[in-house]
Amino acid sequence: MKTELLHGTLDVMILKVLSWGPMHGYGVGERIEQLGGDALRIEEGSLYPALYRLERKGWIDAEWGLSEKNRRARYYSLTPAGRRAFKSSVSTWGSFAYAVGRVLNAAHAPVRA
Amino acid sequence: MSPPRWRRYLRFWRSDIRADVDDELAFHVDERVDELVARGMAPAAAREEAIRRFGDMPGVKNTLRRMAQQHETKMTRAEMFGVLKQDFRYALRTLRAAPAATAAIILTLALGIGATTAIYSVVHTVLLRPMPYANSDRLMMVFERVGQGRGSASPGHLTDWTEKTSSFEAVSAFVGRTFTLTDGDPTRTFGALVTPSFFQTGYIKPLAGRYFLPSETSAERIVVLSYPLWQSRFAGDTAIVGRVITLNGEQHTVIGIAPKAYTLTPQDEMLWTILPFRPEDRSDYGQHFITTFALLKPGVTMAQAQADLERVTEDIRRRHPDQMENRGVQLASFNEIFLNTASTQLWVLFAAVTLVLLIGCGNVASLLLARAATRRKEIAIRSALGGGRRRLLAQLLTESAVLAAFGGLASLVVAQLGIMFLVGTGPSWVPRLREASLNLPVLLFAVLLTLACGLLFGLAPALRVTRMNLQGELREGGRGGSVVRDRVRALLSVTQMAVALVLLVSAGLFLRSAERLTRVPLGFEAHDVTMMRVALPALRYPAASAVEGAFGRMLDAVRAIPGVSAAAGGTRVPMWGGSMDIGVRVDGKATTPANNVGHVRLVTPGYTEILGIPLKAGRALRESDMQAGAPLVVVVNETFARNVLGENPLGQRISGWTSADKPVWREVVGVVGDVRAFGRENVAPPEIFFPWAQKPDSAWNAFQRSVTILAQTRGDAVVAPSLRKAVASVDPLVPLWDVQTMDDVLAQAGATRRFNTMLLSLLGATGLILAAIGIYGVIAYFVTQRTREIGLRVALGATSPAVVRLVVRQAALLAVTGIVIGGLASAWVTRVLGTMLFEVSARDPLAYAAAAAVLLVVALTAAWLPARRAALVDPVRALGAAG
Repeated sequence: MKTELLHGTLDVMILKVLSWGPMHGYGVGERIEQLGGDALRIEEGSLYPALYRLERKGWIDAEWGLSEKNRRARYYSLTPAGRRAFKSSVSTWGSFAYAVGRVLNAAHAPVRA
Repeated sequence: MSPPRWRRYLRFWRSDIRADVDDELAFHVDERVDELVARGMAPAAAREEAIRRFGDMPGVKNTLRRMAQQHETKMTRAEMFGVLKQDFRYALRTLRAAPAATAAIILTLALGIGATTAIYSVVHTVLLRPMPYANSDRLMMVFERVGQGRGSASPGHLTDWTEKTSSFEAVSAFVGRTFTLTDGDPTRTFGALVTPSFFQTGYIKPLAGRYFLPSETSAERIVVLSYPLWQSRFAGDTAIVGRVITLNGEQHTVIGIAPKAYTLTPQDEMLWTILPFRPEDRSDYGQHFITTFALLKPGVTMAQAQADLERVTEDIRRRHPDQMENRGVQLASFNEIFLNTASTQLWVLFAAVTLVLLIGCGNVASLLLARAATRRKEIAIRSALGGGRRRLLAQLLTESAVLAAFGGLASLVVAQLGIMFLVGTGPSWVPRLREASLNLPVLLFAVLLTLACGLLFGLAPALRVTRMNLQGELREGGRGGSVVRDRVRALLSVTQMAVALVLLVSAGLFLRSAERLTRVPLGFEAHDVTMMRVALPALRYPAASAVEGAFGRMLDAVRAIPGVSAAAGGTRVPMWGGSMDIGVRVDGKATTPANNVGHVRLVTPGYTEILGIPLKAGRALRESDMQAGAPLVVVVNETFARNVLGENPLGQRISGWTSADKPVWREVVGVVGDVRAFGRENVAPPEIFFPWAQKPDSAWNAFQRSVTILAQTRGDAVVAPSLRKAVASVDPLVPLWDVQTMDDVLAQAGATRRFNTMLLSLLGATGLILAAIGIYGVIAYFVTQRTREIGLRVALGATSPAVVRLVVRQAALLAVTGIVIGGLASAWVTRVLGTMLFEVSARDPLAYAAAAAVLLVVALTAAWLPARRAALVDPVRALGAAG
């Protein structure tokens, strides 16, 4: 359960980052950390498997290109199918986060109906 | 570390997953190093830290490589599939564009593959499947070797083989008998007396109940029913097990029901009871009527078992030399005996139908070649636009595959019809013929055959087209390679005709055989003879006098029927039923009974006359011979007289079938002509006719109190119903069966041969038609290609007949080449037909000449149409055409 949650979480964040435009793997990781703060440290060992998984699902595409420093890098971009999946993931995630929040913020145990 | 430059060029040809993963992670590490260095770390330490952050770097790389590989495979597969779909759609379009040719191809394939599959189904069901018994590979049959042939065993032999050999798990005896069932409608059915070990030598789990125990004897009066009898007479109700039924007037308890698999043909035995075996039978080495089965012990070879049997038989010879003269023992595999006749015939049919299929494929290949030729411009353009040869080849092969697939599907319908036809009209003695169907192995065969055909006729045109000089095609008026193309199609046509000739020669040989056979004199003339078999139950007619009295009254009643001019009786009739043979002593000659063999018939006077068996010397049997106290006489046939009596047979005395050692001399008073009692193909057996009033003691037992009554009818009188009434008037409870005319029996006798001949002729004709179509195509194309040349000739003064001659000469050349090659092939191939032919050599010149003539005429006729077209060529148009 925990791995699923983590998978899903990382995947949806990657899709969000890529929705701003094509980016290489290092850049995706950096952006997520910048936005999420220190609480959201992405392990290198899980970032790239997530990217490859999303590529296999057909939600992102990859192409070799040149970075700002003229280094060869593999750039990922959202596919139309990925864009659609991203939209639905965001809403699911939102409802999920809200539900968890309600449970955790409950003042007392629920009354048996 | 940036990737070495040369690796980039590798990626141009194919993807390098390993390198890609390395490069991607290397980039990440480099970026991280830059960041850390910018923050103040030392470069070396920064690199270390960057790598450490990945955790298990090699592990991660492996995971990524694996994932990338999977992704790549998925993509490649999707692409291939897409290409395949495209090829398929294109192939369908192309085929639809030429509906006539496509239909012709699919039809040819459907017929060819369907017919081959149908015959394979029979071959598989009858020959290739193992027999249904447990351990059927160890199942053997044991015969007494008689001279050069094989014969039934005597009870003494059976006893010794069972008790004194060590090579067999079980030895069993089988004696066929007819039984009367009288609960309900009295009917006669064929059954068998067997030893309890019979169900051990050939074991299949009983459907219900059980089989005989080793300790049980005929005193138990128990019976095992066969599946068909159980279904037809006992309504397939298992409650019959344990109940009592009446067999031949005696009550028997049903102890078990055998499964369907035991009944291999409709003529097989329908029930089994235990063979009665008296103590004195153990030393009876003189009467031979037992069929013996034996189950080899595991690990024992046939050679070892044969040696074992010979040892025991030698011992018998020592003890009874006069019974064993010229006799021995022969072990044979059950499968070989049982399937021998069917085997040759079926394989010949299978070979023939495959040849027809080959001719058909030749036509398809020819058609495809022709079409490929007309599409060469299109293919040239596609090739110029970048279609690699491999892609073109794939496209063309897809077309062939689609054609083959449709043909294969359609062939299933033909195959099903073919199977129904073969099962319906095939000879009934072929074991398990009824079980032939479109089952899994047969379907598999059809699929494989379809694939093979597709490859066969698809590859040739495809390779030819893609190897063409495409440059030449694109030039205006490109006509490159037409001569070469002609040659391939011409070669195809020649091959087709050679194969067709082989088929025609085979059919011709069979037809000659059949014709020769009909000329063989049977030795008797029995038109207007109606016959029926009657048997009396032993219980109500125990004594011989009672038996003969009843039969005598029946004969009188039959004679009284209006329309019947004469009647007689006999224990067996030629061409209809087996016989019993005995050995005789000849008065005054030192020869032993084992050598003086004759088939026995107990008859009434008039028997030989009604059957039209000519009298050659002496006299026929008369009424006075049937009186009590008359001198003992017999009539023999020419073969017996020649073999046993030598010169002056009349007046000699013979003695046979006597229980004691005291001879009972009977005088030979007449010699009748030979009769081919076992079929036209088989030599006439030696025969002895006893007046049945003078029969040897146990004769009625041996013949089961059963005779055939013959009635000679006047003109068109149909007397079958009256015959039944006549018999019923003497004893209403006695069933009669098999009421037939002799003409019917004779017609049935040739059924198998006729069936084979018909099928082979059909296949020959089909092959001929297909080959004719083939040569028509080639000649038509030849004319089209030579239009300009013909136009030129006509313009230069060639007459119409001259043009026709030109074309026909081409056709004749092809036909004659085909005939010569086919003739040589036939001479080599028809050797295998040897045993199936009757008095016709496999090189019979008439058959060959006729086949060649037919082929030549048909080929020239097929060429005539295009020839006429050639003669009508308008030279102006022909020369002006842009080719």
